[in-house]
Amino acid sequence: MKGKEGTWRLAWLATAIVLGLAGYAIFFVAPPELRQGNVYRIFFFHVAIAWGAFLAFFISFFGCIGYLASRQQEWDWLAVSTAEVGLAFTTITLIIGSIWGKEIWGVWWTWDPRLTTAFFLELLYISYLMLRVMIVEPDRRAMVSGVFGIFAFLDVPLCYFSIVWWRTLHPQPIIGGAPGTGLDPRMWYVFLFVLVGITALMVVMIRERYRLEALRRQVGVLAAELEERAAPDESKGVTA
Amino acid sequence: MTGFWYILSAYLAAWAIFFFYSATVGRRLTRLEAEFRRLKERAARD
Amino acid sequence: MNLPRSAGAVLAKELRIELRTRDLTHTVLFFVLMVAGLFSFAFSPTADESRRILPGLIWMAFFFAGTLMLQLCFVREQANDTLAALRLAPIDPFAILLGKLLANFLFLAAAEIVFVPVFSVFYNVSVLPVLGRLILVLFLGTFGLAVVGTVFSAMTAQARMRELLLPMLLLPVLAPVLIAGVEATGELLVPHPSLAREWVSMLAGFDVIFLTATWLLSGFLVEE
Repeated sequence: MKGKEGTWRLAWLATAIVLGLAGYAIFFVAPPELRQGNVYRIFFFHVAIAWGAFLAFFISFFGCIGYLASRQQEWDWLAVSTAEVGLAFTTITLIIGSIWGKEIWGVWWTWDPRLTTAFFLELLYISYLMLRVMIVEPDRRAMVSGVFGIFAFLDVPLCYFSIVWWRTLHPQPIIGGAPGTGLDPRMWYVFLFVLVGITALMVVMIRERYRLEALRRQVGVLAAELEERAAPDESKGVTA
Repeated sequence: MTGFWYILSAYLAAWAIFFFYSATVGRRLTRLEAEFRRLKERAARD
Repeated sequence: MNLPRSAGAVLAKELRIELRTRDLTHTVLFFVLMVAGLFSFAFSPTADESRRILPGLIWMAFFFAGTLMLQLCFVREQANDTLAALRLAPIDPFAILLGKLLANFLFLAAAEIVFVPVFSVFYNVSVLPVLGRLILVLFLGTFGLAVVGTVFSAMTAQARMRELLLPMLLLPVLAPVLIAGVEATGELLVPHPSLAREWVSMLAGFDVIFLTATWLLSGFLVEE
């Protein structure tokens, strides 16, 4: 157990170093972009965090399936940890994307397909977490939220395509264009660096959240044991 | 650097949200750990 | 028993309960009239404007009527724990869900039969020339609402604050149905109506995907 803990501490440290260097690279290594100047630098973090969020939701989907297939609580812990971290990452993505949009598009928010889909992802996974709060019994909670997690994830592509079609039928309020294609090789290196750092951050954060869920289970088991010890006759339905 | 304040505020916002989230996870963990220790002690006493 | 017969039995049971109590029919009828009246106070539209906003009003009203109705679907079984009896029956758990979702579909469709003429009169929009196509769009959208709504009703039946929880779960998942339904209905109410193929296929796709998911996951949903 001690050795495992040390490995994770090392992982945290490595993640912090990579992200610190990534921060430096974003500001000082990557060259300015032709049309957007410097504001595009937000994109390194923005795209990497969005990727992290989507990866987390993807793992959550498999966590849900895994629980329903095996009935092992661990899968449910994985599903909820990834959903929560994914939600935090989506929130960051939306907010820094909004700051970028204010500078480039002139508005904080547009009903662009990706933005709107991210917004619905956020709503769907908030519902998922709310559903979990409302069901107390662990096995029932895992099963019901497992089914909802699958439904929510299946809904994402439908949401995306309906919004894409919906947008193409409406006028677009976008003032500037999409970010430039054809990245400078230096930009690519910086981006890959940031991507590795963010993915590592996602993994260590999920692990923290997972530990919380495992500990909660231990506390529950211990509390039940103590209760049994305090009133052994009652729990067996026998009166002395 | 043009647009510096936008980049910096986005960068800081990202970290602020992340640290806020990890603080909530940390707080929940500490609380549960305290609870776990308390129960362990009670179990040892009984 | 095979699937159609057992699902038919569950459906017949649901319809019989409804015919005896008329809980849903009365509430939803009143709800429909109230919403149609209140919306017209809120917008006081001219004929042109109402054509633009009517699709949105119709679908939002359906969704809220639907969340009200679907609530009862599994909660009703709890009073005498009749779901336990259904579970004991030697039938596929999907049959229970299928019977219930068909019943919900029929209740919603019945509400729409009242709803659409009332709206068309109140807002002075003629639906008769496009009735066949409108029915197709409404059919597909309502079926999607019934499928997801029945599943979520089964999920939330034992949760705390289920009355609040069901709409919160249901409405975000139904976002594609809302977009596709509103757009397809809108295309039918313009001066030169046409059936929007992509929206109809979106609705049909939603129905097929979620009906399949329900079929695959039905074992978990009906379980204790």
